[in-house]
Amino acid sequence: MAEKTDVWQGTLALMVLKTLETLGPLHGYGIARRIEQTSGDLLSVNYGTLYPSLLKLEQEGYIDSEWGQSDNNRKAKYYRLTRAGRKQLAKEAQEWGQATAILARFLAPGEERS
Amino acid sequence: MRRLRAWFVRLGGLFNKERSGHAFAQEMESHLQMHIDDNVRSGMTADEARRNALIKLGGVAQTKEIYGERRGIPAVETLLQDLRFAVRMLLKNPGFTVVAVSILALGIGANTAMFSVVRAVLLKPLAYTDPDRIVTLASFWKADAGKGQVSGPDYHDWHDQSSAFEAMAYYGSWDTSVTAGTTTGTTAEYARATKVSSEFFRVFGVSPALGREFSAEEAKPGGGAAIISYAYGVRHFGDEANALGKRVQMAGKTLDIVGVMPPGFGFPDRTDVWYPANTIAPETESRSAHNYRVIGRLQNGVRLEQAQTQMKAIGARLEQKFPDSNKGKSVAVTQLRDEMVSNYRLTLYVMLAAVGVVLLIACANLANMLVAKAVARTREMAIRTAVGAGRGRIVRQLITESVLLAVLAGAAGLALAFWGSRTVVALAPGDIPRLAEAGIDSNVLLFTLGISMLASLLFGLAPALQVLRVDLNTALKQSVQRAGGGSLADRMRQALVVAEIALSVVLVAGAGLLLKSFVALQNVELGFRPDRVLVVGTSVPASDLAGARRATRFYKQLLPEVRALPGVLDAGATMAPPGQTFSDGGYWIDHLPAALDVSAPEAVFSVVSPGAFATLGIPLQRGRDFNDGDSYDAAFTAVINEALARQAFPNQDPLGHSIYCGLDSMNPMKIVGIVGNIRQHGPAREPSPEIYMPYEQHPQPATDLSVLVRTSMQPGAISSAVRDKIHELSADVPVKFTTMEALNSEGVAAPRFRTLLLGIFAGLAVGLALAGVYGVMSYVVGQRSNEIGLRMALGASQSDVLRLVLRQTLLLAGAGIVIGLAGAAAATQFLTSILFGVKATDPATYAAVVALLALAALGASYIPAKRAMRVDPMVALRYE
Repeated sequence: MAEKTDVWQGTLALMVLKTLETLGPLHGYGIARRIEQTSGDLLSVNYGTLYPSLLKLEQEGYIDSEWGQSDNNRKAKYYRLTRAGRKQLAKEAQEWGQATAILARFLAPGEERS
Repeated sequence: MRRLRAWFVRLGGLFNKERSGHAFAQEMESHLQMHIDDNVRSGMTADEARRNALIKLGGVAQTKEIYGERRGIPAVETLLQDLRFAVRMLLKNPGFTVVAVSILALGIGANTAMFSVVRAVLLKPLAYTDPDRIVTLASFWKADAGKGQVSGPDYHDWHDQSSAFEAMAYYGSWDTSVTAGTTTGTTAEYARATKVSSEFFRVFGVSPALGREFSAEEAKPGGGAAIISYAYGVRHFGDEANALGKRVQMAGKTLDIVGVMPPGFGFPDRTDVWYPANTIAPETESRSAHNYRVIGRLQNGVRLEQAQTQMKAIGARLEQKFPDSNKGKSVAVTQLRDEMVSNYRLTLYVMLAAVGVVLLIACANLANMLVAKAVARTREMAIRTAVGAGRGRIVRQLITESVLLAVLAGAAGLALAFWGSRTVVALAPGDIPRLAEAGIDSNVLLFTLGISMLASLLFGLAPALQVLRVDLNTALKQSVQRAGGGSLADRMRQALVVAEIALSVVLVAGAGLLLKSFVALQNVELGFRPDRVLVVGTSVPASDLAGARRATRFYKQLLPEVRALPGVLDAGATMAPPGQTFSDGGYWIDHLPAALDVSAPEAVFSVVSPGAFATLGIPLQRGRDFNDGDSYDAAFTAVINEALARQAFPNQDPLGHSIYCGLDSMNPMKIVGIVGNIRQHGPAREPSPEIYMPYEQHPQPATDLSVLVRTSMQPGAISSAVRDKIHELSADVPVKFTTMEALNSEGVAAPRFRTLLLGIFAGLAVGLALAGVYGVMSYVVGQRSNEIGLRMALGASQSDVLRLVLRQTLLLAGAGIVIGLAGAAAATQFLTSILFGVKATDPATYAAVVALLALAALGASYIPAKRAMRVDPMVALRYE
């Protein structure tokens, strides 16, 4: 996994929430897959980080979980966004957007010392 | 918020660990399966798919570890784990656990009990509004730095000239005859009556729960009002409301009850009846008549020191203005609480220090046991280190065990303290204020918790240090038995035993000194014979001279009748039985000086009936006893004691000289007799000069006499006959009985309490120290059994072996004793003021302490020594 970038600290939670908002209830494997695909396989989800992160989100009440059946009839734990999670997602997405916009302005060529 | 919620969930996670761990394993499993399914779908073979998925998944165990840490709280989990392990360790060695917990519980229990007493008596705020602002004001005699009562005029000047006080009042209090109600048939009883000046209740910030305070009119001479305590109201009138408007009779007057104080208020000395000063008896107007006690409430924001400075200035002004009466007299301002307990402060703190030492010894003992255990566990620790436990983790484990022990001991100690606190209260002299309030409250609980934790640190540190020093390699290589912590553990254990012995030397020396001074007190020549003397307290109500002379007639009638009772050998009466004094002041021989100054020699003033000397067994040395001829109208006479004869008449015959004193009049009194000295102030103080005066000539002070009855049987057996005689003569005279021996015993109650308590603590200390000696010597003998066997094989006799063991014991004990003696010499200095007839450096006591501890240490090493003597050389040799 050397050529792939590990998910940045702190952004994984946001990605998880967004994934759950887009796709609805999903199991851990599905979430990991989806994040990797969305990143164009540039990101590699480290499971040692994903599951603790899911646990943390659940403990904070942003997501819920329950056991269910997967598409090919496997038992799997499904995570679902809660209302608090939806609000949190909106908030974090907005903050993230702001942060990247600011950074983008900084990094944009030619605009220094205007 | 969210974070808090997460913590709660994690806290919950501590408890259903097994289940959620299982669920996570399932989740990982399904994750793996789905991955494999996907891989298969994309064309891999089953094997390849599985391998790829496993690689992608990474370290399952590691993930689980991280996940687990997130699920619970790792620190708490380690703690729980340590705790579980500690509980298992303690359960596995029930003998060790019971002994350790008992030793420590003893120490903690004794400390908690003592602290509960100290807290109730010395530390707890008084139960008044803003108690810190309530102070006492006393005359301060610069010559001997003594504090005393206050004269009326001084009080008024203090009151009028000071600004530091919100309120200031004087009071005077005594037991006297009071009759509740006015109906005939109610008998008089002893009650505590207190005369108070007008701001008295304001000082305490209290007012009557029912009714009102005294009106200005009632506070003037002749006013007839009283305020009673809640308890008195309930006791005599059924309930407090019923008491209002009723009356009490005392001192020949009838007083209207205008108020009832709230429950619990009874200052001073559980007063039953308060009445305005200057109503029944006029206020004394001499500046040298120190008849009152003064209390005050500081203005809000005024500090004690400020008030003291101001009062000192006022005292200096009065000294200048009235040099005859006020020379050398200043003012002392003290917190009321401190003043109330000033007699017992030292004793209680000494006892608290003593139990503290006992706890230290208990801790040393426990440290010793734990070091031994740590040595035995060296291998276990080494193995745990080898498989990756950090030293920190192991020390934490050890400390957890110590804390668990301490908590168990704290709980057991608390139970002990419930009982111990009550025992201390029962043993204590009755006059310690607020002692009854001693008990286990939240402060005491905190104290117990605190000392338990402190103790666990003290004794837990030793084994932990020992473990840190162990070398992993050698420990693993050695067999279990031989895996010593090496010489470090041995040295540590020996040092602990030396410390135990040293500490017990300090306590035993203290106890020895107190015991010696108590024995000295018991054997002191009192100057009278206290055995088989019944003391009958009586109080004849009187408010004026006519009433007082009625009292005289009452006693004059009573005494012959008591003497005539069967079983009575002799009878007399006195104002104050030996051990108490009624009054004292200056005296003059032959003629009065032009101006009465305060520099005259002083004597105790006593008023007695004829026969009092004989009844008490006070020898008449010259002249005669009083008789019925020393009547009110006859020329005044006096009897002096030897001390006064020596002081005032060196090389002269006192008989026939006249003497003056200001008890109630300045009439010259002819000295008609000389009696032997008695210890008027109790056994601990030297006899003072004393002037005895016949009761008929001093009727006004002589209305409350103690009738003394010497009997041929148990003095108590005669009491009902005496009571009947008294009630035949008058229903207004209440009686109370005691014996001279009981009074004496009360006089030494404080020294007895100190001696007993310190004796118990010293005994505990020695017991614990000996257990320590025994433990270490047993261990040493065990360690050296090979060497001993070798020596025996080489021809050493059993007595050589015995000497070997005893010599080592004596070395330990000797070191402890030497250190302890130095400590004792320093510590016992604090006892100087409560020692009697023995110096703090008494060589005999110290010699006895040394002998006692050395012998005891030898005794404690006897069993290990015997074991050493029985070592079989062959067995020992085979081990080599």
